[in-house]
Parts: sequence; C-alpha cells; structure tokens
Amino acid sequence: MKKLTLASTALCALIAAPALAEEWRPTQPMTMVIGFAPGGSTDIQGRVLARTLEEYFGQPVNVVNQPGGGGAVALTRFLNAEPDGHTFMFGVQLGLTFSPIVTEVAYEIDDFRYAGTLVGGQFGVVAAGDAPYQTFEELIAYGKENPMTYAQQLPMDEAIMRIIAEQEGIDLAIVPTGGGGGMAPLLLGGEVDYAFSGGTHAQYTPTGEMNVLAFLTAERSPFYPDVPTLEELGYPYAIDDFRSFFLPGDTPDEIVEAFENAARFAVEHEPFVETTVENTLHPIVFMDAEETEATIRSIREANEALMAQ
Amino acid sequence: MDFSAVGAAASEALTLASFIGIGGGVLLGYIVGVIPGLSRSVAISIAIPMTFYMSPFIAISFLIGLSKGTAAGSAVSAILLNAPGEASSAATALDGYPLAKQGKPKTALQIGLIASVMGDILATIILIFVAIPFARVALMFGPYEMAAILAFALVFIAGLSGGNIFKGLAAGGLGIFLGTIGLDNQTGLPRLTFGYTELMDGMPLIAVAIGTLALSEMFVQSEKLRYDRENMSVALKKDADDRITMPIFKRILPTILRGTGVGTFVGALPGLGPSVGSFMSYGMAQKAAKEPEKFGKGEPKGIAASESADNAVIPAALIPLFGLGIPGNVSAALLIGAFAIHGITVGPLLLRDNPELLYSIFAGMILASLIMLVLGWYGLMFFAQITRVPPHVVIPIVIFFCLAGMMLQGYGTFGLIILMAFALLGYLMKKYDYSFVTFLVAFIITPMLELNLRQSIILSRGNWEILLNRPIAMFFIACTVIALVALIIRTFKKEQAVANAPAD
Repeated sequence: MKKLTLASTALCALIAAPALAEEWRPTQPMTMVIGFAPGGSTDIQGRVLARTLEEYFGQPVNVVNQPGGGGAVALTRFLNAEPDGHTFMFGVQLGLTFSPIVTEVAYEIDDFRYAGTLVGGQFGVVAAGDAPYQTFEELIAYGKENPMTYAQQLPMDEAIMRIIAEQEGIDLAIVPTGGGGGMAPLLLGGEVDYAFSGGTHAQYTPTGEMNVLAFLTAERSPFYPDVPTLEELGYPYAIDDFRSFFLPGDTPDEIVEAFENAARFAVEHEPFVETTVENTLHPIVFMDAEETEATIRSIREANEALMAQ
Repeated sequence: MDFSAVGAAASEALTLASFIGIGGGVLLGYIVGVIPGLSRSVAISIAIPMTFYMSPFIAISFLIGLSKGTAAGSAVSAILLNAPGEASSAATALDGYPLAKQGKPKTALQIGLIASVMGDILATIILIFVAIPFARVALMFGPYEMAAILAFALVFIAGLSGGNIFKGLAAGGLGIFLGTIGLDNQTGLPRLTFGYTELMDGMPLIAVAIGTLALSEMFVQSEKLRYDRENMSVALKKDADDRITMPIFKRILPTILRGTGVGTFVGALPGLGPSVGSFMSYGMAQKAAKEPEKFGKGEPKGIAASESADNAVIPAALIPLFGLGIPGNVSAALLIGAFAIHGITVGPLLLRDNPELLYSIFAGMILASLIMLVLGWYGLMFFAQITRVPPHVVIPIVIFFCLAGMMLQGYGTFGLIILMAFALLGYLMKKYDYSFVTFLVAFIITPMLELNLRQSIILSRGNWEILLNRPIAMFFIACTVIALVALIIRTFKKEQAVANAPAD
C-alpha cells in the first residue's frame, strides 16, 4: 500500500497538470451516490468531497444517499447506472468484500470499476480506560483467569475473536451492538469487557475513557502509532476497509483515469483532508485504480477464508 | 456554572443573524411537520448542507429549531386531517381529530401548541441545569434495563387499544413479526428479505408509518366522501367559544407536566424516541384520568399528554448526546454529523472545551421555543385554513405528499409498492377495528427490544439471578407483569359486561 507523502504528490501534481487539458471532463451536473444514511462518517466525507470535486471537474455534484445493507442497496441500484462518468459512488468496500459472502446479492466485484482510494479505515479493539488491562497481552492474560464479554459489530471481527479465544482458552461471550453508537454505552457502562470499534473510539481516547488495545487492520493507525496490530501480536488475522470511487462496469478507461486524478487532487485538497482527519478521524490513504481493485479482491479472499473457519 | 460564558452566550444568541437562522429553522420545521410523510430526519438531512455557510452556533440552533418545529407542526395535520405529520404525533390524532370534528379545531390546535411549547421549554431547562452533570446516570441503563422498559412500553401501549385483547395481540404480533425482517445484527445474515436488497435494513419505517397512518386514512376519508358528502370536512367557523380558556389550561397543566417528565425520561435514554414517549405519556394520562372513557373522543388531556412528551423528547435526546456523545435518537444522531462538519466533536469534552458554544446553543434552544409559540399562535389561523379546503382537494394533495415523502427516502418504485401495501393493511385494520397503533408501536420497538434482549441473555450467560442485582430492570419487569394482569382482568370484565347486557 502506498501512503502519499507530500513530496511525491507535489511531483504527481506537476506531472498531471499538463495532461489536464486532454483529460475527460463531465458535461453536465454529476451525482455522487453514498450507500449510507446522512450524518455518518462516510456521508460527511462524501459531502465535503463533493465540494472538492466541483472545484476539480467544474460541474455541480449532487449527493444522493441510498442507505441499506452496509452499502449493498446502493451497489445493487448502481448496476443500472449509465457508464458516462456522471453518476459515481463514494463509499466503503464492505458491500463487495463481505456482503456477497453471507448474502445473495445481484452484483459481483467484476460488475464495477474502481477509480482510486481516498480514505483508510481504523478497525480496532477497545477497552474502557479504567479496565484492569491496558494492552492486548494483558487482556489475554486477564481472560485466562476470568470469563469475558466482547461486543462485536461485524461477523469478521466476531470470527477473529472467537478463534483467538479458543486458541488462548478464554471463556468468551460475544454480543451484537448494532453499530458504534450502541457500543459506547455498553463499554463505558461496564456491561462488556472489550469491544470492536470502527472509529467510535476516536471521540473517547483523548479523555482516557477508552483505550485502543490493538488494531485489526493490516497496518498501524497513524493516529495511534504505539498501538500494535493483531498480526504484530502474533495472530495472523486482519480486516481492512477503504473508501473508494466506484464506477459502472462499462466505464471507459479515460473516465476512470479522470477519477483517479480527481482522487489524487482530493487527497491533497485542504478542506477534504482536514474534514476527514480532524472531524471524522479517518486517515487519508491514496491508492490508484489498479491497486484499489487488487486490494478489494485480496480483502475479499481474506474475508472468505476467515468466515470459512 | 461559568457566568461570564453564560453572559457571552446570551449576547450571541440575541443577534439578528441568530434570530433569522433559528426562526427560519422553526418555520421550516413547522411546515415539514405539517406535511404528512416529510419526516424530521429527512428534513434534517436535507438541511445539513444548507448549514455549511453558517457559524457553528447558528447552524446547530437552526437544526435544533427545525427538530422542534417538526414536533409542534406535526400536531396540526394530526388534529385537522387525522394524518400525523410525524409518527410521534399519532397519539395526538387520537383525541385532536375528534375534538376538531366537534367544532373545536382551534381549541385543539391551541392545546397542542401550548403543550408542545411548555414540554419543550421545561425539557430544555432540565437539559441545561440538571441533566448534563448527571448524563452518566444514563449509563446505569444497560441492556437489561432497556429490554425491561421496552417490554413494559409494548404491553402498556397494547393496553391502550382497548377493545378485544385478542385483536390487540394479533395487531401487536404482526408488528413484531414485520419488525424482525432485515439483516440479523450479529451474523449479518438476511432474514425474511426474499432476495430484496431493499429489505436488508428492515421494512422501511416511513413506508409502514405513512401507509398505516396517513394513506389508509385517505382511503377511509374518500370512502366517506362517496357516501356522505356533508359529514367529511371540519369547517372552521368564526366561533368565539372555540379557543383555549383558563379552566381548560388549568385542567391540562398537570398532564403537561407529567408528559414533560415522561418525554424527558424517554428522550434521555438512547434508542427510544419520540413515538415511544408520546404513546407512553398518552397511556399514563388515560390511566390517571377520572374519566378514562373520554379518551379517544376529543379529550383535551389526550392532546396535551401526547404533544408535551413528543416535544420534550427533542431537547432530552441531547442529554446523552452532549454528556456522553451518544445520540438519543435518529435526529440526534444526525446532529453529531452536523457538529462534525463544523469541526466540533460532541461528547463529554464539549462542556470543557467549548462552554460558550454550548451555552449559546442552550440560549438558542429557548429562543426557538419562544419563536415556535409566536409562530404557532399567529399562524394558527393560516394553518387552520387547511380545513376550509374541500376534501376532494385535500385528499389528493395529502396522497401526493405521502407518495412524495416516500420517494424522498430513496427506495424508488419498491418503496411505493410497500407503501401501498401498508395503506391497504391500515385500511383493513381500521375497517375491522384492529389497533393499528399497537401494530405500529410493536413494529418500531421490536428491533430495539430484540437487540437488548439478546445482549441481556448472552451477557448473563442465561443466568436469571443476575436480575437480582438490577433493581431498575426488576422494577420494570414487575410493572410489565402488573400491566399484563390488569389488562387481562379488564378484558374479562368487559366481556362479562357485554354478556350480561341485553342483546339489541
């Protein structure tokens, strides 16, 4: 994975600049589909991204929310979108890397094109700040002596915790939470011992109310450089998710290229970066079109392997 | 409390720009509230981009004003059209519409407005002075307590339907059944979706609510219109007696205070919401009344109970939001997003890092309530004109708004088909006297009840004794059992009365 440094982007911008004149440009207002309800982090990032894209493409960008099934509803509807570049999606990859494994959906990875990644995820395991364990190792040691409870959000994180609990001999009960909003009261109210967090922890770590014990992602979070990943701790499991541009399957290369450049522009554009990092507390991660598609396929394989266990 | 911050906050709240922002929010909310099918959360989500260019204080006050306006405005259509603008005003329609039919539409509207504004201001004051320091109390309500409260609410509301207990159980059972549709929240596997991706997040709430409440009512109205042209419209005459009087106000004041208490309690608990609040308050008012049989036939207390609780939920839902960063309901969750756009993280740090902003928002909220009172009072005649429009004009317009409101949800044609199906269901339930209210509340509560019950069972590892350490949960379980027993006794008494009565 390539994290864009300042220097390399500046270089990219220089190279990209002369090509701008010949690049594909929209001829009418554009529609950005977001597969989540208004107000969530995907929506907030998307709405600020829409302003950035208006600046880049010179056309108004309307945001349409099509919530449901973790993005699956929007992807299903997106199958019928015109491949002319005027309708595109911005969102998480879970609808492609996870939903098809457990649900019968009308689409597959091959049905879409992937025009670049802009935002990274930060799936982690958290505990209350006053818990008797401050690291994942301490949690495991504690669990060997005491029965424990864990609040899940995705079947994948449940699978990982179940495997680790069996391996370490921990008596673990796993409860559903119905999302990050439901996790916080459970953990802070002392109902569960530790929990999955898709990003909710960012609000609570500065006050010391929550502690991130480990990240489930393949790489450490830039916001918590001292917190290890599960893989570093010796458990060979990871769940990742990135936020990317999706385009209809028949979209021509030149349009995909234009969106790839738009993504390059956005990850350096002050308002988008600021909102993403400071307000929604997600890291900026850039990947080009090819790398985005390859990542989606490899995450899908990893998830399939995990769910098969 | 830091008084210099309060002073600075008050002066910011009283600028012309904030008057325009908050007033605009309340007015917009009022209009959205009046239109059946345009829901509060839809309005907030559409309005969030409009706030990009406002200062954080005005933006948040605008959105809260919008929420408050919808809660007050939804009473207008509930009373005049029997089509609640929000699901949470369905309880208002139970007495508001009969009262309007009895030639007192203005009285009904004024009772609704005064109850709304009072519930609103009192709950805001509770939010400011009592609740924020005690936000942590909400954490005492874990899954056991929540499951017990929800079970209690379900039984309690089923008791409201009166009539035949078996019909009530059938309606509630159907609501529970439909509430289980969608992705299982632990395994992510679809349940009863029959391959429709649209059903993954469950039956769309708005389709169920608009269908069974508003659209089916339009079917009933058109049918009446066909056979009985005169009886249909509520004519608003110039009637000096048709206004709220001091005796009426004194009579409903205790109801308003109780409704505010119920609404604040329900709002402060994450996950419940205004519909649960208004129905619980209505039920408690009926239970406390000397003449409970008057409820449902134009009892002013019924309107006051429902509206005061409905409006008290809005500020109370901000208690866990400001205190803990946990939203009390959907519209409060949308506010987190709005805060984030303006660079503010909602949560316990807000009071420490941004006290001026928080106090300004409180001042703005009080201002919004006052604007709502003025707007509602003087706009009453304007809104009441809806009743002068002949039914053959009103019915198609309401149907249009129902369909348009559904289209806004983004479900496409699929949503319209679901909406029509529920309108038909609601029509049949009304015709055959099944409680659509019990049905709707059961449907809304089921996902929350299921999640909390599952969490309780898993966390307790199936051990009942854990409840002994949970006095709050025990209390509500006891209430549920008592309510259930009372309900059964009442049904048998009624059946006996019917059996003993001479057949006519």
